[in-house]
Amino acid sequence: MMDQHEDPKFEQWLKDAARTTYHAPRTPPREEMWTRIQAARQRRHIIELRPWMKWAVAAAAVLILGIGIGRWTALQPGATNGTTTVATTDSGQSDVVYQIAATQYLSRTEAFLTAFREDQGANNADGARFARQARDLLTTTRLMLDSPAGNDQRLRSLLEDLELVLVQISQLGDANNGHDTDLITQGMNQSNVLPKLRSAIPAGPVPVRTQGAL
Amino acid sequence: MDESQLIARVRAGDSAAERTLYDAHVDRVYRLAFRLAGDDALAQDFTQETFIRAFDRLGSFRGDAAFSTWLHTITTTVVLNGLRKVKRFRQREADIDDAHEIGVVQRHAEPDLKARLKQAIDDLPEGYRTVFLMHDVEGYTHEEIGAALGVETGTSKAQLSRARAKLRVALADFAGEWVR
Repeated sequence: MMDQHEDPKFEQWLKDAARTTYHAPRTPPREEMWTRIQAARQRRHIIELRPWMKWAVAAAAVLILGIGIGRWTALQPGATNGTTTVATTDSGQSDVVYQIAATQYLSRTEAFLTAFREDQGANNADGARFARQARDLLTTTRLMLDSPAGNDQRLRSLLEDLELVLVQISQLGDANNGHDTDLITQGMNQSNVLPKLRSAIPAGPVPVRTQGAL
Repeated sequence: MDESQLIARVRAGDSAAERTLYDAHVDRVYRLAFRLAGDDALAQDFTQETFIRAFDRLGSFRGDAAFSTWLHTITTTVVLNGLRKVKRFRQREADIDDAHEIGVVQRHAEPDLKARLKQAIDDLPEGYRTVFLMHDVEGYTHEEIGAALGVETGTSKAQLSRARAKLRVALADFAGEWVR
């Protein structure tokens, strides 16, 4: 029995109309996409260290932190001789590597968004250049979301906000008329993304140079 | 060489095999991403993300289903999650625009069929729209859609039926077009 909504003529007409007019795709740019996939995977391979290397890097990072904490506590006015400060380690040692990488990534993103906002304010924004940089950071953002660093709810929320901003900037082209960049900046201001980003970055210099690690 | 041999070579680190696998599937992945996203940059972005995830997780592909089914599961996950995020962002922008346009009377010209069809499809609930585009526009079977979206085949059929019913109501003004 035919369903009351079934109408073969309508269905055929709908299919034909939708296929030809609704989001009709162009020929996919295979080579461009393949090049970017390869580049993103190359970066990812750098992150995905072999197991023994992960432990070595984690151990080195914990050692550096331990020494840093030890020196810092020794300089505190209340510190007494004979007090032993032990940098504790737990099962999340390998997460330290991701936290360091996250700090480095957040610093880069802060610099990028600050530059974008300033150039936009001066009507000086080079849309195509910013779009390229945003795409690069977007890939890293998604890798960060999938990494153990993304398990931290506060960091995850920030990364999701950053992803939205970067998606918008990555779609800017040479012909942007300022309206698009205005909207992005307004969105950034409304969501307080830059203040949140800055508060997530620990004070002082980036602890370990991890350029290219993510 | 059949696809299972190709996948085994990709797992063994053969980059030429990776490219062959990519070439075999990229058009369909991109088409689906574009149909759902309606934007070339986003479609490229989603296609890239799909292949990056697929190559990274190929070890978890057990071969119970076809590789294309597994790949389209990743595609729909990447695209739908990505679109939800973009929608959230655009909603913020729309809120700003609305705030600026209080008191301004909008006058719209009568849209043509193409615009009305686009609006009607865009207005469908996400599940209906996805099933409609996959089945009626891109030609996926209900079995493929069910596997990709993690729903029963019957659910896919029901959603398609409801999507068509909604579209029929939304496009009732154009009834003369299909009863000819």
